[in-house]
Amino acid sequence: MNAIEIRGLRRDFPLPNGERGALRTALDGINLTVGEGEVHALLGPNGAGKTTLCKILATVLVPSAGTARILGRDVVTRLATVRPLIGCVFGGDRGLYGRLSARRNLHYWGALYGVPGHELRARAAELLDRFGLTAHADERVETFSRGMKQRLHLARGLMHAPRVLLLDEPTTGMDPVSARDFRTLIGELRREGRSILLTTHDMAEAETVCDRATLIDDGRILHTATPRELGALLSRHERIEATDVPAQLLAQMGTRSGVTSVNTGPDGITLIEVTDQDALTPVLRLLVDAGVTNLATTRPGLEEVYLQLIGDRGMDVAS
Amino acid sequence: MRAFRAGLSLQAALLWRSPGNLHVLATVPLYTLILLAMTDASHQAGLAPNAIIAPTLMALWTMALFTAGDLIDRDRHDGTLEPTVATPAPLAQVITGRICAVTAASLIAFAEAWVVGLCFGVHLSVHHPLTLVVGILTTSLTTACTAALIATLLVLTRGGRPYQNSLSFPFYLLSGIVVPIEVLPHWVHPISRIIYLSWSADLLRSAFRPEEPRQLPMQLIALGLLAAAGLACASVLMRRVLDRVRILGTLGHA
Ligand SMILES: Nc1ncnc2c1ncn2[C@@H]1O[C@H](COP(=O)(O)OP(=O)(O)O)[C@@H](O)[C@H]1O
Ligand SMILES: [Mg+2]
Repeated sequence: MNAIEIRGLRRDFPLPNGERGALRTALDGINLTVGEGEVHALLGPNGAGKTTLCKILATVLVPSAGTARILGRDVVTRLATVRPLIGCVFGGDRGLYGRLSARRNLHYWGALYGVPGHELRARAAELLDRFGLTAHADERVETFSRGMKQRLHLARGLMHAPRVLLLDEPTTGMDPVSARDFRTLIGELRREGRSILLTTHDMAEAETVCDRATLIDDGRILHTATPRELGALLSRHERIEATDVPAQLLAQMGTRSGVTSVNTGPDGITLIEVTDQDALTPVLRLLVDAGVTNLATTRPGLEEVYLQLIGDRGMDVAS
Repeated sequence: MRAFRAGLSLQAALLWRSPGNLHVLATVPLYTLILLAMTDASHQAGLAPNAIIAPTLMALWTMALFTAGDLIDRDRHDGTLEPTVATPAPLAQVITGRICAVTAASLIAFAEAWVVGLCFGVHLSVHHPLTLVVGILTTSLTTACTAALIATLLVLTRGGRPYQNSLSFPFYLLSGIVVPIEVLPHWVHPISRIIYLSWSADLLRSAFRPEEPRQLPMQLIALGLLAAAGLACASVLMRRVLDRVRILGTLGHA
């Protein structure tokens, strides 16, 4: 049985200020399967439809068409059996009772998920500890930093030890250390056999924690990839930024195989794009040997990879 | 029942942690004093129970209107409504528990008014203790049901907030809490009678009078009907709230 099975999922919203009947399509026929025990990343820019998809899976939003199942149970027709199976973490500042302590919040949400009274305390204490919040357990949540709230959100989602976890941008607002701990946490949860759907717009994060990643944009799936493929996508068109590159070297560089483009801007910064990791090293060596010390390598952002994917597809269609 | 209990204790904690919600209780001694001074000045000792009952009912109504009535809309605003809907706990049960906590807290007003009365040298004699107990219970129940109606209405109608304020003082007058209904023009009476507070006020006052409370069955039936009507409307509207969240998707964001 699959943890998550989505078929032809569609969701339209009425336009807030639009004319009557005008709709905005947030999800446009999504098909997606997440196996049991799999960590699956859903990657996409803002407005891609990630949150909408999570809400439908979390049973708080009804799809306009198509079906979604959690461990074989339909999320629309079998609410009572589906809800206890899911833990959802909708990130952000909201969604917690700010005037209450972290501990009190966990007790409350745990109770709503049917965690028995005598287990609530132990579960909450264990999770507060796991997320490094024990020292602040009895402080009001409204005094917490964004990252602390985010960790509390995660603890909240785990109170009833759900089999399927939906994490909507769980690392936004976290400091880098917490974000690294988060990756460790995902590893632990995977070992415990939980299935995870995780949305993010951070490709590197998706690359390090997930088994597979699906890229979505504008409510449609562009591509599903393994972290390896994702890594390849990222290192394709790896770039070097350098200043004060001798003109002679520039000319030589342009003709090398593996170098896709060489451009020097008016600010004197040269941008060299290479096809992959293998092409990168010799180019770097050449630059260093020529005495260029002001060097940096950068990776394309998500948007660029998208453009590339859409571009590739465009070519597929054309040919 | 678990969800009800969770709601009850959540709201108790919220009230405890933000006493601002209980500011109404701070005004109770003041109102009691003013009303007692007025009865004293008019040499109408028989009106003394009024001076205790009126501030109590005012507190119950104010808390129902502003604290309990605000519950769901506040959750929507704070982003806690959607996560609550996502749990297996029935939303209506959670909200009922929370409203009951608010109503129970507002009963403190009764004790306050009583103590202020004692300090003022007013020794009220309860002629019909059972009537008093039944009166307090049915009044609380009807208050809770009405609060549920307000809470669902307020989250569904964005334009509802301005009416919230206008529902406080006019209601005290119309329901004859402060001034008995008999003093009001005749055409107002039917309006007064659809406000449950008018029945509550009469019922509670009768407990302090030596005469047999003959109106009791009638008053209980009226309160029961108004409670049932409020609850029925509230549960229909609660479905609408859930539909707004899940089908229209318009209650998730502030
Ligand atoms: N409740 C809503 N009403 C109207 N439009 C919405 C609503 N929720 C989301 N949308 C629209 O649907 C699209 C997808 O949004 P969302 O799922 O939040 O994207 P993401 O989480 O990937 O940033 C956006 O264009 C957004 O404006
Ligand atoms: Mg989102």
